Amino acid sequence: MYDEARQRAIEAAFADLVSQYSGTLYRVAYSVLRNAADAEDAVQEAFMRVLRHRETLDEVRDQRVWLIRIVWNIVLDRKRRAKTRPETDDVAELARVLPAGGLSAEERAAAAQHHARVLACVEQLPAKERQVLMLSAFEELTSVEIASVLGITESSVRSRLFRARNLMAGLLDHQRSLR
Amino acid sequence: MNSSTQKRFAGRTGSGGFPASGEFESTLRLIASLPAPEGLAERVQAGLRAAPAAASGASTGRTRILAWPAALRLENGWLQSSLARSAAAAAIAAVVAGGGWGVYSRVQLTQPQRGIALPRVAAPGGFQGAGAMRTPQTLNGPVAARTVTVGTQATKAAGKPTQTPVHRGKSAAARKAVAQPAAPAAK
Repeated sequence: MYDEARQRAIEAAFADLVSQYSGTLYRVAYSVLRNAADAEDAVQEAFMRVLRHRETLDEVRDQRVWLIRIVWNIVLDRKRRAKTRPETDDVAELARVLPAGGLSAEERAAAAQHHARVLACVEQLPAKERQVLMLSAFEELTSVEIASVLGITESSVRSRLFRARNLMAGLLDHQRSLR
Repeated sequence: MNSSTQKRFAGRTGSGGFPASGEFESTLRLIASLPAPEGLAERVQAGLRAAPAAASGASTGRTRILAWPAALRLENGWLQSSLARSAAAAAIAAVVAGGGWGVYSRVQLTQPQRGIALPRVAAPGGFQGAGAMRTPQTLNGPVAARTVTVGTQATKAAGKPTQTPVHRGKSAAARKAVAQPAAPAAK
């Protein structure tokens, strides 16, 4: 009787977790994979892993950061195994998903190309700097939380972010000079 | 805004020693703020409901790659009795033996080949045999002279051998000379 009630409570908590954080996890996954279907698969896999450990769910201190850490590891693993993504794929995907915002078709295409070029520069960064830079783009993640997701100290996050920004500025300058 | 949020990314405002946030950050923020597709949570829930058994099995550490059919599981008990186990073992042994006999009875010993079939090589641009037949290079055997009479009195008297062994490897003329009857030599 008690076990049944506990089981029902765990399932309800799990359902809440899915409805509350699936959007956040999707955005984290999409920022790395840049493919809607792959990102959705990664979210599904993350919740599958959580489901296996649902008995210990109440022991987790910060469920949001814990979930982001799970999906982050999944997407990094998938990206490592996937082939290098060509820039043209990014242009097409960005043109599809970017909000129109009153732009004409040409303007949207140009914006998509610009964003794809920036993302190509991000891909050239060293892995540690790139990861911090990508996570820093999420408004809802603090530097402490980013440190927790990556398993490093907060000061490491700050120093890596500093380096990443400098490197990005250099890469973009170099690209501009080539054009 | 809490203190940790205030602490984050001083570079975004240009203070704290970070370079001013550039155009790349607007791109990254744009990507990070893209809305999730409609009905994502429902799809995830449905996907999780579709595989609850696998997940619960994994949590208890009893996941198998190939699960036995329910009727054959040990918990069901029919394989618990020694009689059933003996019958199953006998059935397996019979199947294995029957299969072996079936293979053995069908196999026919093939006749050994008399000659060696050489593969026909017709390489483009290479030499060809022009239809020549290959004959094995065998030596001619010893030629026995018909005129030799073994054990005649004349040869006994002469005390000479009636036959001279023919050595292999000698030329045909030499063999012929050796094979001549010993009678003239006894004169």
